[in-house]
Amino acid sequence: MQSELKVSGRVAQYQNLLQLIGESTTGTARDGLPLKASHARSIVNCHRLAEAYKEQSRVAFITEQFPTELTFAFEALPWNIESMSTMLAQSLDVDRIFQLTQERSVSRDLCSFLRGPYGMMLADCYPRPDVVLTNDQPCEGLAKVIYWSGQRYNVPVIPLHTPNTCDEGSVQYVAKQLQRVMSDLERVFGVQLNPDSLRASVHWSNEARLYYNKTINILRQHKLPGVSRELQEIFGMNYFGARQNVQVCKALYEEAVELTNAEPVKATRVLWIGQVPEESHEVLRHMGKNVEILYWAPLWHANSIVLDEDNPFRSMAERAIQYHWNAERMGADLERICDDFAVDAFFIASVWGCRNMMGLSPMIRDIAIRRKLKYLIINIDLVDRNNYAFNHVKNRVDAFLELVQ
Amino acid sequence: MITAGIDVGSLSTKCALMDDTGQVLGSDIVLTGGSNQKATESTFANALKKAGVMRSDVAFVVTTGYGRENVSFADKHISEITCHAVGMYLQNPAIRTILEIGGQDSKAIRIDENGNVENFAMNDKCAAGCGRFLEVTARAMGLELSRLGAVSAESQNSIRISNTCTVFAETEVVSLVAVGTPIPDIVRAVHKSIATRALALLRTVGIVGPLGMSGGVALNSGVVRALEDALGTTVYVAENPQVRGAIGAAFIGRKFVSMAV
Repeated sequence: MQSELKVSGRVAQYQNLLQLIGESTTGTARDGLPLKASHARSIVNCHRLAEAYKEQSRVAFITEQFPTELTFAFEALPWNIESMSTMLAQSLDVDRIFQLTQERSVSRDLCSFLRGPYGMMLADCYPRPDVVLTNDQPCEGLAKVIYWSGQRYNVPVIPLHTPNTCDEGSVQYVAKQLQRVMSDLERVFGVQLNPDSLRASVHWSNEARLYYNKTINILRQHKLPGVSRELQEIFGMNYFGARQNVQVCKALYEEAVELTNAEPVKATRVLWIGQVPEESHEVLRHMGKNVEILYWAPLWHANSIVLDEDNPFRSMAERAIQYHWNAERMGADLERICDDFAVDAFFIASVWGCRNMMGLSPMIRDIAIRRKLKYLIINIDLVDRNNYAFNHVKNRVDAFLELVQ
Repeated sequence: MITAGIDVGSLSTKCALMDDTGQVLGSDIVLTGGSNQKATESTFANALKKAGVMRSDVAFVVTTGYGRENVSFADKHISEITCHAVGMYLQNPAIRTILEIGGQDSKAIRIDENGNVENFAMNDKCAAGCGRFLEVTARAMGLELSRLGAVSAESQNSIRISNTCTVFAETEVVSLVAVGTPIPDIVRAVHKSIATRALALLRTVGIVGPLGMSGGVALNSGVVRALEDALGTTVYVAENPQVRGAIGAAFIGRKFVSMAV
């Protein structure tokens, strides 16, 4: 398989990306970005896209919630293969991406959040990585896809294994792995780690986190449509450790403070649980007209963990374990979120082929029933338009909205 | 004061007119065809004629069904889940769980003692197990849709048909016909496959209290029988099951008018 696939230089890969954008059949009409903070994020996204395609840049492929502070310590750009694919899906010829995966016998029934990054790599429009960093916190399938990317680009794959349980032994185990990752990265990049660089990236991460957490605190008291979506975007970008991310988080916090002075929003608060489509998706636009959507993942307890700037590996390890999809912990955390944010209903988006959501859905449903919350479990493909008809989904969404309002 | 409920479905469009006592004055069903607006105009005109009232007598129009937003003269759109729940509750307030199988979807709906929807589930990936599924398999056997219930009652043997995909099921039916399998056995297997799928959907929301069935497929006695066999209990079939959603919509229209007053 490897020999059949061409790996271009980054300039050519950027051209491949632009070509797929040019062939996009997605309509261009969309609602304007609702928040000023969204513009700040867009600018940072443009910057990192442009930087990643420069031949001299250091690029590290990562999976969700990999501790990106480590990559920034080596001045390497983390490229989250899943969220980049979701973000780019709104402007690319996404049909072509999925077609490429089908041509390689990947069934359409498999999770589109896995098929997306795989297709992007087949299309050779991601920037060639220097290294692949993977963890098994949220999705084992994603970890396997990213392993394949190591073969595809013939670069080292450095894995991080996180145990299910969070105790002292587990934390020490992960902390040791993180130290090993640093040594491996020194070999990959041919430079020795500058402790000041690591300290700086951890510092920027904490500073961004401070604004992030303060914004979340505002949402405990105020319904601010759009703010939760921005938090979701920041969570998905996972750009913690970059100085620019501090600006993104700060801009959002300041805007959230400003928004608290506006007329209070009385909309029903619906917690969106599960995979999230790109921000202009029609389901989100439709729901957003009727209810305030609060996204689950940005509110996870693990996001609130502040790193120890003098000895970051231990706190990073604890955070990594807390991000692991442990059903028991996630259940308790969901109960906390319901209490803290006065959630009125659950919208459980179970993407076809996602074993994680399949495993978690019964637990989430039981919490909804126990708390007497209305809920909708919707089996859906939020990215692959060939697997999805809005009219059919809208019918269920409308009935759910009638139920909760 | 008269209100109209119009259910614009994938196969047929239904209209019901209701007076201020809750009495259904007239109803009508037409095939939807290629234009939601035309089908709606046509069934609305037919229902008015049957009820002997003028269009100007209608104070409020609620539309439901897939094409609910494509009707220019609608005052309000409501999902058919809410409308079927209300329509069924009006006829039999004891019902707590509803199975509605229409042309391209099936719904399990649980309602409370006031007819409010508590929970619901719908088929997602495919229309197998719905009206279109019956239509396609009936055609493959050369049978009229309306005869399926009576034909399945003649079955002597139990066989199995997949319920994963309408087109695959049609292929299976064609293969069974080709090897000489008795038609009543095939029809019964088709009904059983619909019942199995419906049962899974019903269990998703939880079967509570008496179960009622609405939607066009409720007219097929073979499906009702297969469902009763699978559940081990009787299934209440609504009167005019195809028009239940439209009746529910007309009733909801009354609420809007009284709120406005």
